[in-house]
Amino acid sequence: MDSVLSLQNVTKRFGKFVAVDDLSLEIPRGCIYGFLGPNGAGKTTTIRMVMSIILPDEGRLKVLGHANPEAVKDRMGYLPEEKGLYKKMKAGDILTYFGRLKGMAGREAKDKGRDLLERYGLGEWTDKRCEALSKGMGQKVQILGTLIHDPELVILDEPFSGLDPVNVDLVRKLILDMKRGGRTIIFSTHVMEQAEQICDFIFLINKGKKVIDGPLSQVKTTSELAIRLDFEGNGTDLRSIPGVQRVNDMGKSAELFLEPDVDPQDVLRDLVEKVTVRRFDLREPSLHEIFVRAVGGKSDE
Amino acid sequence: MNSKTFLVAQREYGENVRTKAFWIGILSVPVLITLGILVPNWLEKKKDARRYAVIDESGWLLTAVEEKASGPDLAKVLKLALTDRQKKRDLAKYPPRIRQWAEAVPANFIESDKMLEMVTQGIDDAFLKIESTSDEAEGQEESELAALAMVRKGLDELRPEVEAWWKRLPSDEARQLSSGLDRSRYEITRPDLPSEDPEAVLKEMLEKDQLFAYFVIGPDPVAGSEGCRYVSQNVTDNDLRNWFSNLATSVVRQRRIQNASLDPVVARKIQESLTFGEKKISATGEIEEVQGIDRGLQWAPVVFVYLLWISIFTVAQMLLTNTIEEKSNRIIEVLLSSVSPLQLMTGKIIGIAATGLTMVASWVGFFLLGMKVMPLLIGVTPPDFLAQVASDPFLLGSFLFYFVIGFILYSALLVGIGSVCNSLKEAQNLMQPVVILLIVPLLAMVPIGQDPNGTLARFLSYVPPFTPFVMMNRAAGPPTFFEYVATTIVLVTFTAICFWAAAKIFRIGILMTGKPPKISEILRWIKAPVGTVPEKD
Repeated sequence: MDSVLSLQNVTKRFGKFVAVDDLSLEIPRGCIYGFLGPNGAGKTTTIRMVMSIILPDEGRLKVLGHANPEAVKDRMGYLPEEKGLYKKMKAGDILTYFGRLKGMAGREAKDKGRDLLERYGLGEWTDKRCEALSKGMGQKVQILGTLIHDPELVILDEPFSGLDPVNVDLVRKLILDMKRGGRTIIFSTHVMEQAEQICDFIFLINKGKKVIDGPLSQVKTTSELAIRLDFEGNGTDLRSIPGVQRVNDMGKSAELFLEPDVDPQDVLRDLVEKVTVRRFDLREPSLHEIFVRAVGGKSDE
Repeated sequence: MNSKTFLVAQREYGENVRTKAFWIGILSVPVLITLGILVPNWLEKKKDARRYAVIDESGWLLTAVEEKASGPDLAKVLKLALTDRQKKRDLAKYPPRIRQWAEAVPANFIESDKMLEMVTQGIDDAFLKIESTSDEAEGQEESELAALAMVRKGLDELRPEVEAWWKRLPSDEARQLSSGLDRSRYEITRPDLPSEDPEAVLKEMLEKDQLFAYFVIGPDPVAGSEGCRYVSQNVTDNDLRNWFSNLATSVVRQRRIQNASLDPVVARKIQESLTFGEKKISATGEIEEVQGIDRGLQWAPVVFVYLLWISIFTVAQMLLTNTIEEKSNRIIEVLLSSVSPLQLMTGKIIGIAATGLTMVASWVGFFLLGMKVMPLLIGVTPPDFLAQVASDPFLLGSFLFYFVIGFILYSALLVGIGSVCNSLKEAQNLMQPVVILLIVPLLAMVPIGQDPNGTLARFLSYVPPFTPFVMMNRAAGPPTFFEYVATTIVLVTFTAICFWAAAKIFRIGILMTGKPPKISEILRWIKAPVGTVPEKD
């Protein structure tokens, strides 16, 4: 397979602390790769190594076919988790600057920058300073800055954080467009629903080690089915239903995990008596649940 | 690779020149210097004339002093009138008698410098009673010599008339003519004094601020100073006292010479001082005249040391602010996905050095402008140290070199400091050693200026953080060629080491958040190979 990124037994230490432990993964071209993990798991460190901001202590890294990521920096885009801009620079200027830093010609970068700002609703802010932008607008500028040079591989760390639903849709569309154009996107998020919607592959890291790695569909089907419920009523009642092993109570919805060999129909009958059922779904567990299970956190009993 | 460094430098420079700090920096030095020259000048003009009274127990000295005082003033006024006529300015401010005289001087006298000098000499003869030391002009035409004699006669006729006018002229009117006249500055008052205890009245006037001071001339000044005193409530301004006593002394001297029946010519000869002509040894070992340029070399080093010092301080603030902003708003990570830490650091250093040099260049530009403009505005010409430096290419080149290297050195230090701090406050703490370092060349400026090749100067030249300052300061020495070469090698090596160390610190520091590391930890970063992060304490 044509992989854009390949890590082999990569390790990184900060003093005695092992941030990334013997990590191996292979990312194919043209897919959307979800990079998940709890806080402090080693996601950011791994990403920084891919961007050659820091160097691994052990193991090998290959980006876009090159063993030295420095060589292909210009073909990659990176949106860090804490997004920043030069306050005193104008929006258009900062996009031009980012483009040129990636090797674009001055004129080209300037035109592309303006064009992107127009297309994504920020046209009138082109000549305004970044400090005048709201947080969401600033984030859009940041994202555009990541993409201005049309990179082959894009790494987005929490791209949706702080965006309103309209902008979330916009960014999602952007990501899908890129995929259709043959680009590869790695994105990291804590909001599992977003990952579920667009990722082809899932990679879960915890305490520096790989926990899950594979296509989303596969990851989900290996787990048993769960009941997804939208309801009104008292969530604590759900637990007392016979056959129910575990409940993820999210207030207005819930996930029920059944004991082995229990018929979901029986559970449904009991449910209708205890709460008002708005929606009943029998499907694979949510990514949220998979995540929680994988990192060993205890969900509601 | 290099083009990315340049992009970073360009952005840094562009942003810096738009900040307030930059423009304040650019304007502050010229404004301060201009004020420093203009304000005292203006204050001097505004100073009220010192009013004084004199109790003359000798009966003759005061009159003699007044007569002697009027001479130089009148001579000045006449010369001013001539100059004004030469520059075709309006003569309305002069009294009619003087105006007449000035207009009567033949035109060709005004236009010819040589003739003007003759007329000026004539004024001095008439009013200062100095005997001319130069003979009549040679090679001048008969008619011109005759005309000159006429002018001198005219002066002699003029004298008694203007002297009478002058005696009564109040200070403010004198000041209209020129603030440089003694009459403008010192005004005598003649209040009615009782014969018994006249001082009591004067003391009262002093206390009421109607008088600045009063003099008492003793009964026999020729014999000695007994009985002579100066009374005032102001003990700091001695101008009046000095002026009066100088006049009185010269009058008394003349009288003493007369009394001793000495020939005034002999007397003058006795009083002539012995002067040792100032010469120096040239580069070729010959004895030659000391020229203005040599004196200028005293000024130039001091000025340039100050300029370097002030500009480093100003850009330090900018560099730290920028680096910390990039850290705190996390734009650093985005930058590092496009450029390497080394490119980023180098770009910032170049950008900030360019900013500093722009500031200094604009100061020099302001100075050149001031040289043209100031004499026209207030008639004061600042010392022209630039011309003296500019005329020596080696000196100019060395100054330029020290500026550039000095900037790079200190920028590297500051970038290293800025990269480990998260706020300006933290940065200011770490800056302290650098500030202390920078004070040393400033303190040493005067001692080194006086003894450019002395032990202190020699020693400090080899301490790299001081080298740029000290070597510029020693320009009047000058230092030997060997010293130039040796100190430069030390300086450049040290700068390279600082650069390398700063790069190591920068690499790790800019991604770090939290408390700035201790010095020991920073040292470990420097020693660790690139790419690893050594253990924390």
